[in-house]
Amino acid sequence: MHSHCALYRLAIWTLLLIIGGSIPTAGTATAGEPIAYRLKWLINASTAGDVVARQQGFFERAGLEVEVKAGGPERDAIRELELGYAQFGVASADQVIRALAKGASVVVVAQLFQVNPLQWIYRAADFSLTKVEDLAGHTVGITYGGNDETIMRALLASAGMDAGQVKLASVRYDYTPFFQKQVAVWPVYRNTQGIFLADKLKAGGETVAFFDPSRYGVRFVANSVVTSRKMLDQHPETVLQFTRALLDGWQAAMDPANEEATITAVAEHDRDTADEVMRRQLAVTRQMIQPDPSIPIGHIDTAAWQQTETIMLNQKLIDKPVSVISRLHPQSGS
Amino acid sequence: MLHRRIYQFLIVYGLGIGLLFGIKMTLGLSDYVIPGPAGVWHTAKAEFVRYIGDVLDTFFVAVVGQVLSILMALTVGVVGRRATWFGSFIKVAAYNVQAYPIVAIAPILFILLGDGFLTRLVIAAMICYFPLLLSIIGIMGEPVSDIEHFYRVTGRLRWQLEVKIRAFENLNKLTTVVSGSATLAMAGTIVAEFIAANAGIGYSIRIALYQSDLSKILVALFIIGITLSFYQGILELIGAGVKRAWAAG
Repeated sequence: MHSHCALYRLAIWTLLLIIGGSIPTAGTATAGEPIAYRLKWLINASTAGDVVARQQGFFERAGLEVEVKAGGPERDAIRELELGYAQFGVASADQVIRALAKGASVVVVAQLFQVNPLQWIYRAADFSLTKVEDLAGHTVGITYGGNDETIMRALLASAGMDAGQVKLASVRYDYTPFFQKQVAVWPVYRNTQGIFLADKLKAGGETVAFFDPSRYGVRFVANSVVTSRKMLDQHPETVLQFTRALLDGWQAAMDPANEEATITAVAEHDRDTADEVMRRQLAVTRQMIQPDPSIPIGHIDTAAWQQTETIMLNQKLIDKPVSVISRLHPQSGS
Repeated sequence: MLHRRIYQFLIVYGLGIGLLFGIKMTLGLSDYVIPGPAGVWHTAKAEFVRYIGDVLDTFFVAVVGQVLSILMALTVGVVGRRATWFGSFIKVAAYNVQAYPIVAIAPILFILLGDGFLTRLVIAAMICYFPLLLSIIGIMGEPVSDIEHFYRVTGRLRWQLEVKIRAFENLNKLTTVVSGSATLAMAGTIVAEFIAANAGIGYSIRIALYQSDLSKILVALFIIGITLSFYQGILELIGAGVKRAWAAG
């Protein structure tokens, strides 16, 4: 009986060791080792700086070998940091705060978007949204569980409105309900989908407008560059070099003088978007990455991070405060 | 039969979740990557009732989809069993259509049917229909020579009798196929909810994924698994009962 138990235990431990051994946890690439940088979403105009930093040799000149990996709905950069599949990644503030609430050791080294590109599109001819209260009576699309739900609920709460005054409708990647006017106000990334949808409606003789939450006091932080605490502690130089090279790449990508080169770099990955559309996507992205020329690219907006944490606490998306401010580690130049 | 299904599931689930906790402990991962036992327990207490409602909602759609697909597969399988041009056409069409991934067809369904009950039902039925059809065509297309021969030479073999003989002789296979299709119908409905609907456990899993909440997914998987095990056990009991009644008759 005892020998059977010992055998089972041995088998379980062997299995765990085999599986555990195949997961390279908390990888902290040292100088000269390849670095993986996991983006939040597929490569498009929103990731222009990330692509330019690699393609135009910014990482290479900093002595780093960086692989820029496209993200997607099933990717989570913070999980990959902990599992050692990536050393740097892009995550939105709500992802960072959720991860901190669950004990992940993640730090923010730069904030890419100063203005959250997540906005709502609507047909300008049908109605006008100049204050949050104007949403009353309209069907507003949200992705349940997504950060647009959090933002919309925060907006409604800020205006003292309840969910009964606005009809919330669940949306996904298919825009048919918006085209068919079943959902009047639709969430989009202003600098990518916003351009594409505006074009589609313009082709049908319609004009659109955008509802920007940050204009009504909700500054929910979007894409930021993250790494693990271990990486920051053990290889501060690599973190510094990576962040500087990345932000230099963003600086170059956002410079109108480099537009052609930037479009060429992005188009290598985003083959479905026409150059002319990408040009307009880049123009809007510039306004969101650096809305104020006096604020450097990558600047971490502490007040906005604090507000994001407060919103998540108020909506009970986290149980207790996570002191997100203590996890913000702006590197030199950001 | 029923209790065996359930305790087998409990063993598989226990092993799976134990392995996850083992990896978490061995590698020192945070609750964000793999939740701890306490986290899963708290989530289970908080979400169990809501998730049971969601699973039952999904289960209802899956069962309706499965019944529809069984009826369709039986009809087409009986027609397609013949070695005629039409029979061969049905077989080729079934093989070809099932090669298309449902996620490629789903957008067309959303545009035509919108995202709701009907889309879930159609996707569930489609996912379990084609494997069912192929199995039923296989069973119905294979003559039971020693029995059919007697009726054939005496001129009494009508198509109804032929179908009855083949169904009876392959009742075990049919029961297994129908029972297995329950898993496919449930999986199909969950996939449909994940990509299209606003209800059901697939929809809840999608929200949990957005919130990076693996505990909720583990709880959902438990309820889905236990519900399916129960249902499959019932189907097997019904299959055994039908066989007994048929044999006695």
